[in-house]
Amino acid sequence: MADKPERISYAYVENGKTYSTVVGLFSEGKLVPLEGPYEPLPDDLIVGIISEVRFSGYSVDTNSPYVGFLSSREIRERFNMGDAIFARIVKVDEVKNMDIGDAKKLPEGRLVRVSSVKIPRIIGKKNSMVDMIRANTGCEVIAGRNGYVWITGKGDSNLAERAIRMIEAQAHTHGLTDRVAEFLKSHKKA
Amino acid sequence: MGGNSAEKPALLVNGKRVDGRGVEDLRSVKIVARVLNDAEGSAYIEWGKNKILAGIYGPRECIPRHDQSLYRAVVKCRYNMAPFSGAEEHGRSGPNRRSKELSKVIKEAFENVIISENFPKTEISIFVEVLQSDGGTRCAAVTAAAVALADAGIPMKDLISAVAVCKIDGQIAVDPGKEEDNFGESDMPIAFSPRTGEILLFQMDGNLTRSEVARGLELAKNAVSKIRAVQVEAIKKVYDEPKEDRFLLIG
Repeated sequence: MADKPERISYAYVENGKTYSTVVGLFSEGKLVPLEGPYEPLPDDLIVGIISEVRFSGYSVDTNSPYVGFLSSREIRERFNMGDAIFARIVKVDEVKNMDIGDAKKLPEGRLVRVSSVKIPRIIGKKNSMVDMIRANTGCEVIAGRNGYVWITGKGDSNLAERAIRMIEAQAHTHGLTDRVAEFLKSHKKA
Repeated sequence: MGGNSAEKPALLVNGKRVDGRGVEDLRSVKIVARVLNDAEGSAYIEWGKNKILAGIYGPRECIPRHDQSLYRAVVKCRYNMAPFSGAEEHGRSGPNRRSKELSKVIKEAFENVIISENFPKTEISIFVEVLQSDGGTRCAAVTAAAVALADAGIPMKDLISAVAVCKIDGQIAVDPGKEEDNFGESDMPIAFSPRTGEILLFQMDGNLTRSEVARGLELAKNAVSKIRAVQVEAIKKVYDEPKEDRFLLIG
């Protein structure tokens, strides 16, 4: 990637040169990976699923190999196993244990799991993509930075899911917004 | 290296091998990436008549817990031959000593390439299934697994490939097929990191002189650059021709 040592995410330096470690797009000094596991960061807004109920709090499935912990002291409501929540990652320690807070229970719906690196494209600039899906399907779509997307509401959730899968597959291409708009319009129920 | 010497075919006649190749010719190698719906990353390779599927799971929670490391991801590998893979000369199918050995050497090759410090307490599992075997399966397995790991987005120092070299009728040749593997005088599989030239897997059966080993390494290095091009092509195709599902389909 470079003939001198540079500090770039997902790249590493050896013998004075910089190399990429993953398949990605490199432009203007930034490397964006096209695939990869979710790496939690503080202040990420995520969709999680309650996986365990304990006395002091809850274990949350965050679509990563690391389990998040939501302390009972952080929230007012009670959750059950299998509930979906929209929450913030408060803290990540050196071994990637996550503390989660600001959790809100999500209404009944369904989960679509996508690669977390595609989420920015699913949300779009200033929420443009996700707003387009909402408008054309009548569903509420909540995309967590961790790759979990929650679809809820009385709209066409199948269409919403197909649109999300389409974006996931083509996230790296140009003209995607137009193609998704076209797809939604042509498959929209009258 | 078994084989009945009474049945031994002439492996090299006028510079041509059993299948018509020259000593520096590789068999045809084709790779398709992203072919399994469930695995994080996957690849299917057809190398000569070898047909091998590689699937990657991880980074995921490391189970059993006592295997995990607080400092990095643990790399695991299972190499297995399917019952119909035609492995009689190599031994019975299913987990056996040879499969355990190959699981170990393939795992160790990738342990040195995967940047595992980013994912403490997790495991990265490499599964390789040999659907059809025709000599050189461990090299094809490493080559496919590398593509599968890239497909999964697992950070690595390089995309590695592997090829074997052999000695047939006194000559060093690259990429032995099943008969050359069984009836040849030596078989030496090698995995390289093409960027650095480092060797990640290096085994040998039979007898070779130092100069024969050097010649073998040279042939292998040349072959690996060709294989690398096929691997990169396979990865690029995933993005040049995006599909929404990940099933291996014919046609």
